[in-house]
Amino acid sequence: MSFFNRVFWRPRVADEVDEELAFHIEMRTQELVARGMDPAAARREAERRLGDLGRMRTTLHALGTERNRHMQRTQYFGELAQDIAFTWRQLRKNPGFTAVAVLTLALGIGGTTAIFSLLNAVVLHPLPLREPDRLLVAGETFQGNLSDMSVGNYVDAAAGASSLDGLAAMNISSFNLSDGVTPERIVAGQVTANFFDVMGARPEIGRTFTPEEDRPGNNRVVVLGHRLWMRRFGGSAALVGRSIRMNGVSYVVSGVMPASFDLTTDSEELWTPIAFTPEQRVLHDEHYLQVYGRLRPGASRERLHAELEAVAVRLRRDFPKDCSHLTFSVHPFTDDFVGDYRTRLLVLLGAVAVVLLIACGNVGNLLLARGAARGREIAVRRALGAGRGRIVRQLLTESVVLALGAAGAGVVFAMWATRALIAWSPQGVPRVEQARIDPAALGFAVALALASSVLCGLAPALQLARSDVQSGLRDGGRGSTGGGFRDRLRAGLIVAEVALSLLLLFGAGLLIRSAIALQHVSPGFDPTGVLTARFSLPEAVYTDPVRESETLRRINDAAAALPGVSASAVTSFAAMGGGGGMNGLFPEGGEMPIEQHLIPSTLRLTTPGFLGAMRTPMLKGRNFTDEDRASGQKVMIVSAALAARAFPGQDPIGKRIACCEPGLNGGQDWKVVIGVAGDIRSRGPAVAPRPEFYLPMAQAPKDAWRWYRIFYVVVRTDRDPAWLADSLRAAVTTVDPDLPLFDVRTMDQRIGLTLAESRFNTLLLSLLGGIGLVLAATGIYGVIAYFVSQRTQEIGVRIALGASRGSVVRLILGQALRPVALGAVVGVAAALAAGRVLSSQLFGVSRTDPLTIAAVVATLIGVALVASAVPARRAAAVDPTRALQSE
Amino acid sequence: MTTNPAPELLHGTLDTLILKTLSGGRRHGYAIARAIEGATEGVVEIEEGSLYPALYRMERKGWVEAEWGLSELGRRAKFYRLTPKGRRQLTAQATEWARFAGAISRVLLTT
Repeated sequence: MSFFNRVFWRPRVADEVDEELAFHIEMRTQELVARGMDPAAARREAERRLGDLGRMRTTLHALGTERNRHMQRTQYFGELAQDIAFTWRQLRKNPGFTAVAVLTLALGIGGTTAIFSLLNAVVLHPLPLREPDRLLVAGETFQGNLSDMSVGNYVDAAAGASSLDGLAAMNISSFNLSDGVTPERIVAGQVTANFFDVMGARPEIGRTFTPEEDRPGNNRVVVLGHRLWMRRFGGSAALVGRSIRMNGVSYVVSGVMPASFDLTTDSEELWTPIAFTPEQRVLHDEHYLQVYGRLRPGASRERLHAELEAVAVRLRRDFPKDCSHLTFSVHPFTDDFVGDYRTRLLVLLGAVAVVLLIACGNVGNLLLARGAARGREIAVRRALGAGRGRIVRQLLTESVVLALGAAGAGVVFAMWATRALIAWSPQGVPRVEQARIDPAALGFAVALALASSVLCGLAPALQLARSDVQSGLRDGGRGSTGGGFRDRLRAGLIVAEVALSLLLLFGAGLLIRSAIALQHVSPGFDPTGVLTARFSLPEAVYTDPVRESETLRRINDAAAALPGVSASAVTSFAAMGGGGGMNGLFPEGGEMPIEQHLIPSTLRLTTPGFLGAMRTPMLKGRNFTDEDRASGQKVMIVSAALAARAFPGQDPIGKRIACCEPGLNGGQDWKVVIGVAGDIRSRGPAVAPRPEFYLPMAQAPKDAWRWYRIFYVVVRTDRDPAWLADSLRAAVTTVDPDLPLFDVRTMDQRIGLTLAESRFNTLLLSLLGGIGLVLAATGIYGVIAYFVSQRTQEIGVRIALGASRGSVVRLILGQALRPVALGAVVGVAAALAAGRVLSSQLFGVSRTDPLTIAAVVATLIGVALVASAVPARRAAAVDPTRALQSE
Repeated sequence: MTTNPAPELLHGTLDTLILKTLSGGRRHGYAIARAIEGATEGVVEIEEGSLYPALYRMERKGWVEAEWGLSELGRRAKFYRLTPKGRRQLTAQATEWARFAGAISRVLLTT
């Protein structure tokens, strides 16, 4: 009785208190009456002794309520401890089951956590800048494309944008840092004095630039980035105030920025004042400034747009030649910084989450199978009075324990996977190296574990709790009751797993087809055997164009003379690397040479050997020769794309194009087209060729020595080009010992770099697709094997009645293929809808590519057939006498 | 009783007395009150108003547990009984009390 009371029947606290006090009063009254008191007086005395009854009731009610709550908690945790202990025994009794379930889930949870840690570092983590939300990137739009700003436009925009706390500009350049052991080329930012304020960063030591230092002749000061400071100067604080030599000139170190301001591993490592000259400040051509603005608190982007548009209206009116179509555009710095990695990482996260879902499906199936075996145990416990809720809780405890164990293993796996992903990730993914399994990632893993334990545990638990006591005991736990429900659940698992893995495989298939298509795209030159390297001619040392072109010629000669080199060239831009500025070209016979009619084209300023060394074909006309001298007729070679755009349907040879410098007496500076070269895919195989043109180095426009301080040396060899790197370095040193070569790479490496990201995504998605396929195959096998074991008797009867073995195999395969086919249909529909998220990563293949769909569906059905063929053959081998006796 | 108030109980002593009373078996609240009155021969008159709150608190602490049953006269009553935890508590408190009383006695009786 007491057991029953304690567990199942607890009176409301108020009734309990009232009844207990009433009993007390009554007993006391009886006692007093027995001692001879008048009954009414006795009752009054009994009540008086208890004190203030109202207050007593309130007190007891509060105490009782609290006591009940406490007891419920105690009971709950007691049961939880029981459940966990029980689960632990169960899992230890079935080490095989436990290992498979834990490892399957750990793979899914760990993989998902690893990708999440990348997403967290690259996208979600706020930038280490003051109020990064207010930081904007500003630019100009040129013929619909976003471009950098000219100095004149920047100066006017800065003056007109009163919604901003400041507009800062930076020109990315480089310095040869020559003191110390080896000369080193450092990427640098030439910045306006307000740059650091606008970015919202303070120096770690020292100070940044004053407006006075941002003036011509005053700007020999430098702020160092933390990484450079540590690497090159050992992090010495005494460096501030001292001078360092850059490009052969002394600069005073005024400060060092903190490590957090090294936003990416390949960002600039030092800053000097940009110090615009008065001439530069009114120059509206030459767009090379990266511009950043900080929105004033409370100001809106809309108002800023309006202010910038007002500036643009003025500029369009005052400078019709340079600014006829000028508009400004601004967007958040964070978007610019993160780029499209948000989408790409979300796609990867989605893919790995799909793997986790398939893993949950498999574990759910394992739990179902075990549930069937445990039918009798559950029935006994139900019969002994355990409620459905209690049973479901027990079973969920089991899947939660499994999933938490898997999360533990998964976190270890994720730590490894995160490191591997960072190591393999393509260059230029911002902040990816900061990814780690931090508390956020741990929390994510635990949340995943709880979600997946509910996902894979709830269905089997509900199903088990459904089965009724009587038949559970009678059937000896073979679990034929509720079989229909359970079978539907299993078939549903197959449908889901097939659909999910089809989705993954389709994505991987599209990326693989893109990769194959990219392999077959000709870059427009023969990359095999070509080595390229860059060097910078410092402004302070090379002040004279004659000396510059002489140095370039000597470097070319030294490279050509190296043993094994069959061709060489020096050029302002090769392909698939930095450099390569744009010029607006004005073809003869066109409309007025104002900005909107110019053809933006990439210039290569080259020695005559460039096209030969690259093996880019001359389609028409002739190549440059040494006879194309500064004093002679100015000539130009155009790319096929430029020829088609400038002179559609005409022979371009002999036509004239003006560009790059003002002509005599304010007229056009005409150059005669002497040849047409094949198109080069300068931004990588995936990017269509754009208009490009070539000018002979000997006829370099005067301004070009301002545009280009960095040149490429290109050599072709019959041997492995990587072997040439050291001798090429040595050859350049003979010309000028202070010229460090950097970015030394073979052309194959450069092509590889442009494709690194798509290769990475392809590899990862293929890996996930493969894992998904294996998991799905295991799942299908498990379900079909279970069906066969459940139907052994029936199969025995069929065989005994004369069914052929073939018909038994067909029966089982038919049962397997129905959910597989349904899953394929669902999966194809999902894949067609989801292909959109990949479209920016596809090349030469449609996101609904029927061939890929067909291949993926065929693969899945093939794998499903193999996975169910094994149990089907086992079914066909059933011995009818044994099967019938087994009951 | 009101005219001659019993000596005030030392803090925590009521709990100890209740536990001691229950060590002989389960009792309802009234019986506990009577037992304490009887055992102390009226020297310790417990404040009935504090008996029940003390019982509820001890139930919360897990020293006693309650169950409904029938009284000697056949009425439904709430009975309390000692838990193993309560028994340990009684031993600890009794020891402590003896130590305390001994110390006081030594001070008062030695001249």
